[in-house]
Amino acid sequence: MKSYLISIVLLLCFAVPVVSAELPVDSQVAAEAEFANEPYDDLYDDDLYADDEDTEVSDPLESLNRGTFWFNDKCYFYLIKPIARGFRIVPQPVRTGIGKMFDNLKSPLRAANSLLQFKFKQVGREVTRLAVNSTIGLAGFYDPADALWQIKKKDEDFGQTLGYYGVGEGFYVVIPLLGASNVRDGLSLIPDSYADPIPWLVDSKTAMALTGGSIVNRISLDKDTYESIVVEQLDPYLFIRDAYTQNRRAKVID
Amino acid sequence: MKKNWLFVSLLIISLFSSICSAETVTESVTAVGPKAQVEQTVNAILDVLRCDVGDEVEQRAQISTMIRNKFDFKVMSEGALGRNWKVVSAAERENFVVLFSRLLEETYLGRIRAYTDQKISYGEESIRKGRAVVETFIHNAGVDIPITYKLIPHGQDWQVYDVVIEEVSLIRNYRSSYKNILRSKGMAHLLEQMSIKIEELRQRSVSDDSVTTSEAAA
Repeated sequence: MKSYLISIVLLLCFAVPVVSAELPVDSQVAAEAEFANEPYDDLYDDDLYADDEDTEVSDPLESLNRGTFWFNDKCYFYLIKPIARGFRIVPQPVRTGIGKMFDNLKSPLRAANSLLQFKFKQVGREVTRLAVNSTIGLAGFYDPADALWQIKKKDEDFGQTLGYYGVGEGFYVVIPLLGASNVRDGLSLIPDSYADPIPWLVDSKTAMALTGGSIVNRISLDKDTYESIVVEQLDPYLFIRDAYTQNRRAKVID
Repeated sequence: MKKNWLFVSLLIISLFSSICSAETVTESVTAVGPKAQVEQTVNAILDVLRCDVGDEVEQRAQISTMIRNKFDFKVMSEGALGRNWKVVSAAERENFVVLFSRLLEETYLGRIRAYTDQKISYGEESIRKGRAVVETFIHNAGVDIPITYKLIPHGQDWQVYDVVIEEVSLIRNYRSSYKNILRSKGMAHLLEQMSIKIEELRQRSVSDDSVTTSEAAA
């Protein structure tokens, strides 16, 4: 009798693992069937047939913008690119370091805007990064805050702050030389420029030269992104307009 | 008494073997996850590019097969046309899928060639609601570019249906551009432009290859 009961129990133990092994497949099938009915969740739920009418960026100045875009494109290929190409004589690690130095100078801007958005932890991080990188990192040439302690920077500017408070982006604008922008973010460049330490430290001519230098440096490190867009896309203007808009909207939300 | 012992020990053995086989059954069900699959494909493509042996056409064909295995071009084409997918004719749809696949292949190949020497690291993978998201990063000259792959399952295989670079969804971007082109110039014009663009990109990659090989010879 006893052994009979024991054998029943053991048989049940035998059956259960095999049955439970079947379950993951069924739940996966169920998940696939259900997702079509789930509410929109951006990363996981793309409506493939969406029309995006409500998410499209308004571009009433399209012909003017396309003109400026053409102008910027020519400036890039005839002015900036040759200088950047010449600048590549400077070894790449040095140019990366220079890029980091300019980035370090933007820390006050990021800290101030994080504060305005009540992102206090990020304020702490930016202040720490500024202190650490300016000292141990040799005026920002290196980034020990990130490399050693994983204190990451987060891009925040006044345009994002306004977006946080609900200011709409307005329509799409291409700014001469500076490129893609919109009404809100373009106007925000003015308050942003007050947070830039360079004009406070040197005279305006040097400040302009330094800003130009930072652009040349950046292009010398990464010419592929812009140039590949121009080569690969059927309409680079539309591509950049949409990419810029998507990117800004994501940054405002984060 | 002996018979009982034999009976019980047989049951215990069968119990253990069922647990072992159940575990292997579970393993074969979950199989290789999406992150591992993406990593496999990217590494395989980079290997072919880095080794650079064998003739160009064969290399190209190899990479093409690998890309088509991992990217679900039909779903991507649907996403790129959006609501217009249902509006255009079946022949145009088919044509579009063929052209868009080739366009994406050339574009992806061009981008990956630029990043052969860069280090790629893999972040999180997550599976929810029957879809997977795999994060990767390209470390390029001190900057980290986040590239996120979105995948849907086809049985055991996960296939990419969208690539998100720096928060910009590629399919959404194409959808926006193509919608504008369709609105202003129509489907025939779009298809024509795509063919022209594919040829341009092919010419460029051919000339790039000949440049690199001649440099290597010099």
